[in-house]
Amino acid sequence: MKLKTSQSIAGFTLGEMLVSLSLSSIVLAAAITSGVSLQKSFSAVDNYLTTHMQQIRIIDYLNRDVKRGLIVTTSVDLQTVTMSVPSYIIQSGDPEAVANPALVGTPRTPTIAYTSGGWQVNYTASPVTVVYSINGTSILRTENGVVTTIASSTDQLVPKSTDVELANTEYAKTSVTFMPIFTSNGSDASRTGTSLYSTAYLRNKRRG
Amino acid sequence: MRISARSFERGNVLLCVLCTILVVSIIGGNVLLNCMTRYNAAASQVRSWKESLDAAETGGDIAYAEVRKTILDPSHAFTGWNYTGGIYTNSSVTYGKDNLSTNARVDAFYYDTNGNPWYRIRTKGTAPVTGLKRVGMDDRMGPGTRGDSLLRKVDFNYDHFVATYGPNGDGLNKALVPVLQPQVTRRVELIAAPITPFEAAIKATGTFYGLGDAAMIDSYNSANGAYYFAANSPNDAHYVDSRSGNVEIASAVATIRGWVYGNVATNGGTIVRSQYITGTIDNNVPFTVPPFKMPTDFPTPQVSPTKVPGNSTVTITPPAAGTAQVPISYLFSSFTGHLVVNQYASSQTYVDIHVTSDITGTIDIAPNVRARIYFDGNVDLKARDIVNESGVASNLQFYGISPTDPSVSQSIAIGPPGNYAATFYAPSADFTLTGNPDITGAIVCKTFYGNGNTSWHYDRELDKEGDAVDYRIINYVEDVR
Repeated sequence: MKLKTSQSIAGFTLGEMLVSLSLSSIVLAAAITSGVSLQKSFSAVDNYLTTHMQQIRIIDYLNRDVKRGLIVTTSVDLQTVTMSVPSYIIQSGDPEAVANPALVGTPRTPTIAYTSGGWQVNYTASPVTVVYSINGTSILRTENGVVTTIASSTDQLVPKSTDVELANTEYAKTSVTFMPIFTSNGSDASRTGTSLYSTAYLRNKRRG
Repeated sequence: MRISARSFERGNVLLCVLCTILVVSIIGGNVLLNCMTRYNAAASQVRSWKESLDAAETGGDIAYAEVRKTILDPSHAFTGWNYTGGIYTNSSVTYGKDNLSTNARVDAFYYDTNGNPWYRIRTKGTAPVTGLKRVGMDDRMGPGTRGDSLLRKVDFNYDHFVATYGPNGDGLNKALVPVLQPQVTRRVELIAAPITPFEAAIKATGTFYGLGDAAMIDSYNSANGAYYFAANSPNDAHYVDSRSGNVEIASAVATIRGWVYGNVATNGGTIVRSQYITGTIDNNVPFTVPPFKMPTDFPTPQVSPTKVPGNSTVTITPPAAGTAQVPISYLFSSFTGHLVVNQYASSQTYVDIHVTSDITGTIDIAPNVRARIYFDGNVDLKARDIVNESGVASNLQFYGISPTDPSVSQSIAIGPPGNYAATFYAPSADFTLTGNPDITGAIVCKTFYGNGNTSWHYDRELDKEGDAVDYRIINYVEDVR
C-alpha cells in the first residue's frame, strides 16, 4: 500500500518556525510571568491576612486583660502597656496553697474590704502584673515575668495604646498597624490603611 | 486504504493558549483557595471566640437579673433555678442564630455587717465553630510559640476545660467529654455587690435646685470622731474624709449653688458654677433608683403602742435589744404626737417602725438606739422635731415607701428652725428643705429643692450602712484557662 503524501505538510518554512517560536516564547513568558506574579500575590495576600490575624490577636489579648484589669497605664511612647489583673487562680506558693496544697489550680474566693474608695473586692493583696511590649519584630506579653510572644512579623506591627481616665470610668484605646510587604513606596498611607482600632473598658470597680 | 490528511493544522497555537490559561487559572485558583480557606477558618474561630464571651456575659446578665429580684421582686427571684448546696444553677439557655448557649451558677459567698449578701456569679458561654475541623492562621511565630491557639482554645473533639480542670474548674470530676461539633467556651466570674441606700450626700432622680449661695456640702467620718470642718485643710488628718459630699442628679435640670466639697454628676446637665465644686464634674451619668417597697422580712410588730396621737408623748422602751437583722418592730397607724425611743438596758438597741400614715409629729431617739422608720405617707416636720441624740445620722433612718400608683406623689418637707442628724431614703418623694439648718446625713429622693444656706455634712460611714436597695456588678474576672 502506498500512502499518498501531501506536499503542504511536508515541513515548516523558516518563516513559520520563527513565527511559531516567537508566539511560543511570548506565551511561555506570559505563563511564567503570570505564575511568578500570582506566587508573589499569593505570598503578599497570605502575609497580609496572616498579619491581619495577628493584629486581631494583639487586640484580643489586650482587651481580654483590660476588661478584667484593675488599672492600665501606658508608656509615654504608647508602645508599652502595663496593667494589673486579679489573681484568680491559686498558684503554688500562695498562702492558700501553703495551707492546703489541694487548692493549687482552683479559683480563689475573694475577700471584701471597705477602703477609703468604698467597697473593694480583693482576690489577693498583690494582683498579677501584665506587660505588653515590643521587642524587635515581636509583640510580647509578660505575666509575672513569664514572657509569651503573641505576635511576630517582619511587617513592622505597631500597637499603640492609650489609657483614659474619667472618674470611675477607665478605658484603653488601642490601634495596631503594619506595613504590608507589597507596598510600592512605603508611604504612610500604606500603613494607615491597615489600622485596626479598639476600645475596651475596665470592668472592675477597684482601681490599682 | 488511503488516509486523508488535512491541509492545515494551526490549532496548536490555540491549544497552547488554552493550556496556558488553564495552568494560570489553576495557579490563581490555588492562590485564592489557600489564602481564603485558612483565613476563613481563622476568622470563624475568632468570631466564635468573641461570641462565646458574649454568651458568657449574657449568662451573667440573666443571673444578675435574678440577683436584683431578691430585692425588687423577692417572690420571683431564682424561680425555675435549681438550688443545691447553697448554689443556684440554671439550665442551659440557647439563643441567637449561631446557637450560642450559656448557663450560670450563683452563690452568696459573703455577708456584710448589715446582713446583705454578696453574690458570686460564675457563667459559661459556648459558641460553635462553623466549618471543618482545622486550625487557622496559627503557628507562624517560630518554635516555642503557639500563636492563636494559646489565646483561643478551640475544642475540636473534647472539652479541654472539663478534661483538665473539671466542670467547675476546681480540679474535681475531670472527664473526657466529647463535643458535638467544634466549639469555644469562655468563663467569667462576676461579683454582685449590694447597693446601700446612702452612697452620696444628695441623690435625686429628678430635678434639683439647691442650695443657697452661702451653703456648703462636705463630709466626715463618724467612725473617726465628731464633725469639724476640714475640707480646706489638706494637712488635717480628717481631710481625706472631708471631700465626699457628693451630689448625684439623674436629670439635666440641675441648679447647683453653694460649695460642694465632693463630686457632682448630672444626666446631661450644665454646671455653671464649677469653681465652687472641688471634685469631678461628670454630666453624663444616667442612673435610676427603683421604687422602695416595704421589706418583706419586717418582723412581727409589738402589740403596743400602735399610734402616736397628737398632743401626747408616746415612749417606747423595747422589751429586748434586737439585732440589725431582727430588730424590735412597731406598727403605727398615725404619728402626730411626740415619740421617744429609749435604749434597752445598756445594750445597742435596734428598732423598726412602720408608719402607715403621714408623719407630722416629733421624734427623739436616745443614744445607742438605731431606729428605722418606714412611712407610707408624707413627712412634714421642722428640723428641730428630729432629735437624734447620738448625732450619728445612721441611727435615725427614714424610708419612704413608694406609692403603688406612680401618679400619686409623696412629699417630705423640712422647715426651720433647728438642725437634725438623719437620713431619708425616699426615691418617690419630692423633698423640700427651707431655712438654714445644719444637717448631718444623706437623702435619696425624686426631686430636691432647698433654698437656704444649709451646712450639709455627709457621714462616710453611711456608705456601708443600711439594707441593700439594689445590686450592681463591681468585679469582673475571666477564667482564661
